[in-house]
Amino acid sequence: MSATPSRSPTSPSPSAPAQYDVVIVGAGVSAAMIAKQLGLAGKKVLILEAGARIPSNNNDFMERFYKAVAKVPEVPYTPDIFTPSGSLSLTDPTTLNAGRPNTMTLDHSSWQDPSKAYMIQQGPLPFSSTYERIAGGTMRHWLGTSLRNVPNDFKMYSAYGKFVDWPLSYDDIEPWYEKAEWEIGVSADKSTQAYLGITFGSNYQYPMKPIPPSLVDDAVTKAVTGQNFEGIPLVVTETPAGRNSQPYQNRRVCAGNTNCIPICPIQAKYDPSVTLNAALDTGNVTLMVQTVANEIIVDKNGLVSQINYIQYEDNLGPATARGSVSAKRYVLASHAVETPKLCFMSTNGGKTPNGVANSSGQMGKNLMDHPLYLAWALAPQPVYGFRGPLATSGIESTRDGEFRKDRAAFRIEIGNEGWNFSIGDPWTTTLDFINGMNVSQLNPQPPATSAPQALWGPDLVKAMNDGLSRQFRLGFLVEQSPEESNYVTLSKTEYDHLGLPRPQIVYDLSPYTRAGFAAAKQAADAIFKMMGATQFTTSPAANDPSGFDVIIDGKPDRLKFFGAGHIVGTYRMGDDPTTSVVDANQRSWDHKNLFLVGSGTFCTVATANPTLTIAALALRAAQTVLEDLS
Amino acid sequence: MSTPAPTPIVTPLQTFVDLSALLTGIAAGNLAPSVDPKNIKQVYFNYAQQQAGATFDNLLKIYRENSTQPAGKIASLILDQSGPDIRFLARSVMLMWYLGSWYAPADLAKAGTDTPPPNSVVISSAAYTQGWAWNVAQAHPMGFSNFQFGYWASNPPTLIDFVGGNS
Repeated sequence: MSATPSRSPTSPSPSAPAQYDVVIVGAGVSAAMIAKQLGLAGKKVLILEAGARIPSNNNDFMERFYKAVAKVPEVPYTPDIFTPSGSLSLTDPTTLNAGRPNTMTLDHSSWQDPSKAYMIQQGPLPFSSTYERIAGGTMRHWLGTSLRNVPNDFKMYSAYGKFVDWPLSYDDIEPWYEKAEWEIGVSADKSTQAYLGITFGSNYQYPMKPIPPSLVDDAVTKAVTGQNFEGIPLVVTETPAGRNSQPYQNRRVCAGNTNCIPICPIQAKYDPSVTLNAALDTGNVTLMVQTVANEIIVDKNGLVSQINYIQYEDNLGPATARGSVSAKRYVLASHAVETPKLCFMSTNGGKTPNGVANSSGQMGKNLMDHPLYLAWALAPQPVYGFRGPLATSGIESTRDGEFRKDRAAFRIEIGNEGWNFSIGDPWTTTLDFINGMNVSQLNPQPPATSAPQALWGPDLVKAMNDGLSRQFRLGFLVEQSPEESNYVTLSKTEYDHLGLPRPQIVYDLSPYTRAGFAAAKQAADAIFKMMGATQFTTSPAANDPSGFDVIIDGKPDRLKFFGAGHIVGTYRMGDDPTTSVVDANQRSWDHKNLFLVGSGTFCTVATANPTLTIAALALRAAQTVLEDLS
Repeated sequence: MSTPAPTPIVTPLQTFVDLSALLTGIAAGNLAPSVDPKNIKQVYFNYAQQQAGATFDNLLKIYRENSTQPAGKIASLILDQSGPDIRFLARSVMLMWYLGSWYAPADLAKAGTDTPPPNSVVISSAAYTQGWAWNVAQAHPMGFSNFQFGYWASNPPTLIDFVGGNS
């Protein structure tokens, strides 16, 4: 059944082996995990990656980051989101062969403009998370947070009568969490992580000692320890991090560059290029880059028989080749928006009119994120932010409880980057004090209403030091409910430069999610009060598309949410082929030689940052694929 | 540009550094250390001169001619008494040192008190990594740390250790 890839004759030929056991679409963390396991087992693997190759070093990424005016998560990576580079002029996604969303296109003037925003947003709220199309994937700019889900995250229906249960239990996935933690290289101590029912193998230990907590963490810990929010004890816990506390996998120890997102300059933070390179080093894995899969072909027996692709040499240039490839097994690993897009594009001349792997009609539905509530304050004493990894601790005790029957849970991430995320500091405060402005509200601080001052010399240093050294923020990752009404489909009017339809999104926050968001706001207020901190969180502008209404203590309020970068749920797994896209092994119900992996298979988003669960499920799927092949 | 009259002691570059130290509050020896492989002072001098031409020369002249005056008097001359062109150029120079970016004086002049940030351009990657705003926070430019693992769990060096001087 394996076959030579057939290609049109007009293009340069990548060196691809003649036969493949497995073809994987996408080269992010899931693909890297699976390819490495298969390669080590002697299986021949071909990866089709829509974007650029893994560079030999990160120098170009760093240069782009340093020279960017807007240092958003996507900015180091290609294609450049700005044209010209270093400006604030957005690259038109219509001109790109492999475009992707970016966080600069979420304001009122951009989010529904297809010449700026890659995704075609139908509202009512903007889907605010983004992804990369590049070897190494979106995890190039992950934070490093490597939390496990808690057991009840896998059984929301059984435990609380909400949503659906996963077809897997915590105990089913626990051994795979361990393997994923060692592949990524997670720094933590299990004695601090056994909360809310989380268990570990008896002889298990994390590969590296924990990352020390920051002074910001210490200040929060001191204030909240022994205190409750709505009867829930507030417990600060060190965050397991895919970030080296000692040399690991030939990579350096974290030097606290405070830049995990967009990019760790010394690769002390794991990213999937590590595993991808290890996969390539097996000699059994081939990576074809700038190769966009555009149709999955299904034979009369319902098996996938080939995947078609289009190649380009320049992201702004013409297509240079078309081809197809066959294998024994196929794995779609293109994240939770591009994977459904590819399935929808694969209509097989009308034989699969609703797309491949979609007999359930669930493909593209239940799109979720962690809508993030951001709250910021000045501590009464310096906490010295802008130092250390971006986050080193969180409050995890709020992630589970009976309250989940009524409102969304959340975890609380303690930020170490001052008000960088919050208001773009230190730029904003610096401009305020030098140019006599007051965007930060520090020049002067309320309740003073005097005109802003323009400072110089020692007064400038003192004012800036006082403000910046006391800044900190909390981020609340709210569990979004799965809703069929939040979905990805294909645009019928907007296309990329290859002529492929762009993803179209319908997105809103349910009353359950909004209630959790409102609780997050109340928790922020309570924690700041416990700390004696002065809050500076602002309300969204009237025209901010990410502003939405909530009810707090019976009164209407308006809050702003951010995307967490956690795109989840668009081809969920389950026990029932009529209500899910894949089974517990990530295998398509409809096509037995097709697997769909990544966070799209999550049944619920839970509250943990999803990467560790993505990696664990990918390793588990690799085992299934290997068993299939042997 | 016409050749300035001979100044026997102080070069225009040194005048620029001294002026910058006065306005930024960062010691001259920190802005321009005696061993200075990055030589960012020359980059900024050239950049400001290219952007502002005669106004930049005037700014240096005001400082040079009043350099023996008390700091407050010089600052007042530059920031209050010499007109908006000099005032906003001086602010551009301060922002250049603090953020490694160029904010054009005209854009600073147009900015309201709570408007979106004025346009800017990052002068170079070296300029970004030499930004003083982070040092004033007793920290480091994001993505450019010279500290060791775990430093974030302890208090930083004192502010004077970062900005120099004795204030």
